[in-house]
Amino acid sequence: MNRLAAARRRAREAGAEEQGQIEGASPERATKNVARSSESTRVPEPDWLKSRRDAALELYRSMPLPSTRSEEWRYTDLARMLRLDDLVPSAGAQPGPASSNGDGTVPEPLRRAMAQDRDSAGRVIDIDGSAVSVELQDSLAAQGVVLSSLREAVRGGDPLLESLLATMAVPASDGKFAAMNAALWTDGVFLKIPRNVQLERPIRLSRWVSHPGTATFTRILIVAEDHSRVSFVDEILSPDFEAVTLVNTAVELFSHAGAQIQYVSLQRMGKGGFYLANQRTLAKRDSTLDTLNVALGGSVGRVDLNARLLGPGANSDMLGLYFGDHDQHFDFNTSQDHVAPNAHSDLLYKGALDDSARGVFRGVIRVHEGAQRTDAYQTNRNLLLSERAAATSLPNLEIEADDVRCSHGATVGQLDAESLFYLMSRGLDREQAERLVVLGFLGEVLDKLPMGGVVEKVTKAIEVKLGHVR
Amino acid sequence: MPSNEVIQGLGLDDYKFGFVTDSEPVFRTRPGLDADIVRQISGRKDEPAWMLARRLKALKIYESKPMPEWGGDLSELQETLDQTYFYVKPQEQMERSWDDVPENIKLTFERLGIPEAERKILAGVGAQYDSEMVYHSLKEEWEAKGVIFDSIEDGLKNHPELFRKYFGTVIPAADNKFAALNSAVWSGGSFVYIPPGVQLETPLQAYFRVNQERLGQFERTLIIADEGSRAHYIEGCTAPIYSTDSFHSGVIEIVVKKDAYFRYTTIQNWSNNMYNLVTQRALVHRGAHMEWLDGNLGSKLTMKYPSCYLMEEGAHGDILSIAYAGDGQHQDTGGKVIHVAPNTSSSIVSKSISKGTGRSSYRGLCKVYDGATNAKSNVECDALLINETSRTDTFPYIEIDERSASVGHEATVSKVGDEQLFYLMSRGMDEAEAMALIVRGFIEPIAKELPLEYAVELNRLIELEMEGSVG
Repeated sequence: MNRLAAARRRAREAGAEEQGQIEGASPERATKNVARSSESTRVPEPDWLKSRRDAALELYRSMPLPSTRSEEWRYTDLARMLRLDDLVPSAGAQPGPASSNGDGTVPEPLRRAMAQDRDSAGRVIDIDGSAVSVELQDSLAAQGVVLSSLREAVRGGDPLLESLLATMAVPASDGKFAAMNAALWTDGVFLKIPRNVQLERPIRLSRWVSHPGTATFTRILIVAEDHSRVSFVDEILSPDFEAVTLVNTAVELFSHAGAQIQYVSLQRMGKGGFYLANQRTLAKRDSTLDTLNVALGGSVGRVDLNARLLGPGANSDMLGLYFGDHDQHFDFNTSQDHVAPNAHSDLLYKGALDDSARGVFRGVIRVHEGAQRTDAYQTNRNLLLSERAAATSLPNLEIEADDVRCSHGATVGQLDAESLFYLMSRGLDREQAERLVVLGFLGEVLDKLPMGGVVEKVTKAIEVKLGHVR
Repeated sequence: MPSNEVIQGLGLDDYKFGFVTDSEPVFRTRPGLDADIVRQISGRKDEPAWMLARRLKALKIYESKPMPEWGGDLSELQETLDQTYFYVKPQEQMERSWDDVPENIKLTFERLGIPEAERKILAGVGAQYDSEMVYHSLKEEWEAKGVIFDSIEDGLKNHPELFRKYFGTVIPAADNKFAALNSAVWSGGSFVYIPPGVQLETPLQAYFRVNQERLGQFERTLIIADEGSRAHYIEGCTAPIYSTDSFHSGVIEIVVKKDAYFRYTTIQNWSNNMYNLVTQRALVHRGAHMEWLDGNLGSKLTMKYPSCYLMEEGAHGDILSIAYAGDGQHQDTGGKVIHVAPNTSSSIVSKSISKGTGRSSYRGLCKVYDGATNAKSNVECDALLINETSRTDTFPYIEIDERSASVGHEATVSKVGDEQLFYLMSRGMDEAEAMALIVRGFIEPIAKELPLEYAVELNRLIELEMEGSVG
């Protein structure tokens, strides 16, 4: 059965038709909707948030859509890929169930993905930009861990929100899409780990987008207090869409002295998905703030990741893995800002590209004045599996201190003929051999992040893609 | 860690060639640029109408293009351009032998330290004093082989068809703002033709020199290495110090035909108030081999990225780049390799040293087009930082549209290690000697590719820099 037809059917079942009735057909109108609903139908928002949204909206309107003339968007032509005026705001803009057990509303593919997660300490389920379920182990809640939907958190009045939401990490001034999110976010996750509390198992966010042609705005804010530890897995799925369907995610991560945060993003949207993420990590003294971005789904994926090393002894491992086929386009724009001395960052992004997929990696290590004894590394490796696939790599260094150790490397190549020959001489057919080599190539990234469940899930998803392609 | 006095005392910033000899130009245009000036330049050179038309067209392109917003700081350049003399003619006639070269110009060369041996042994010496060749000799045996090594003006006069066939084909005026400027006001430079199968053992050499305050030098060089030929061209530049900014914008076009080998060496040591914005490009044909050896030691800002367009099967391009950025200097240099055809290969090796408030940036492009099967490219950049205030950047662009391509890029940034210094000093060296040795070791892979007299000159330069560091 044709995938598009299936997608249409699924979308219908998920209520896409009602979606078409929603008033407003552009973010301009969407903004009005949000503004109106936040004033009337929705939970009333505090003044600080209202004015923050207004200011963001102003900025959003004042900024043009980034064009390929701008260095950071040189290889992703938004004018060709994204028509903001055609999008309608997702249902999350409307009041939804702030929390529920959610079982009745979880779409089957998401349920299957959740079933693969071996263990978790808590989970938020987000459907179309609205958190429909929040679960957290009682023992953790008792220790003061806060896991809630962002809307709930705002209502709860935690002062951290006013000081940290869209201010220091991903403020509206960051760019058109950061402003768009700051103005229009409908929900998301707020997670706070108190001092000295260490979580053994990950917290999960399971997201689903059902409606074609919609725009969804989600924010994630994680604060790990001194010497705490947490892993967070953010997974997003969707059916295939006929119309471009935008998901705009802002991720703000704060690790205080000696704390550890691991953030994992698994992007597994269907065709037609346009995934945009602005992620910023702020690592204070002796803290560890690691990220892994896995891009497998969607038609276009663009992740802007900025790691800031703010205190001596801070450490960020930044991992990325992408597998593109058909006409998928993945664009990663990363930066490692060494503001403090004696900090360490290490980036490894690896991608395989098949059919006419395109991969873009642009990364910069910035060692600021005074950030002596910085150790910073950056590696991007690409595997081209088809004649039509293309990879662009721009690994940059900007060094303003002298006592540093920095290096970067980038490669683009095809499957190693010798490895293939060896495997085939051992009795594997070409297809099996290729699959093994690709998995081995990408596996290097997963090996660095030994998180049960994630590794298996990603490996399986890649296998499915490899099987599908060949 | 070397003591601060040692670092400050390295003396890399003292410009050795900062002297002015007194020479009166025969003719120069008024400062600034318009169509009238372009007509004057063309008229002075007695050019054919087609060249004047090209110049005027290029001027329009230049005026229509905005200043680049990337690379170095060009915010004060326009002011410099407004005060620039776009054409200065030092003498009326080409000199035929060294004895005829005026004494003050000879003195300039002497003080530049061009070795006596170099003048005698090196075969073709095309010395450029201000905007034109003043001295130009060519070994008789080469003339017999049909090699053309002329000033660019004579190239146009004496070989009009060959000239017109290739001029502006490698770097069209519309390529970039400064290529357009050069195409409008070019003056001086070399025209070189190596006939098929001719192999030159000794390098062709031109010494460039700017000696007029606020003089813009727009040298234009066109080189054709015909099938199966083999040659090496050396261009070296030094300039005296002036208080106002000066400007240099050259265009170097090279065609390397089937199975030919050509190497182009530049050692740029402009004074530290010079803007140096140069476009250098080679078209490399079937089985041919092009090498750029690019040294950038002087200038206030250099933006220069020699490039190899690998047009046909089996073409090979090498770019070796060395940059030194002292106080207030910005070297924005690197290289470009563009793979258009199958089985092409390329390599870029870049080494940079930043000292004081100097900044060196590597900027490069490796592009492999779809269909350039089995293209191979490797890029290595190493940066050495001497002071806390020194700065370095690396901006490589890697664009690969071909599956079977194999492309690698590696870059490292380091400082002179305490252990290295300590080890050498424990062997009896003082700190300055140790520093000099380490820096020499760092640039060795490129220095060893230089012709002997240049390697000597470069080593001498580094020794001079380190001499000042004693005490």
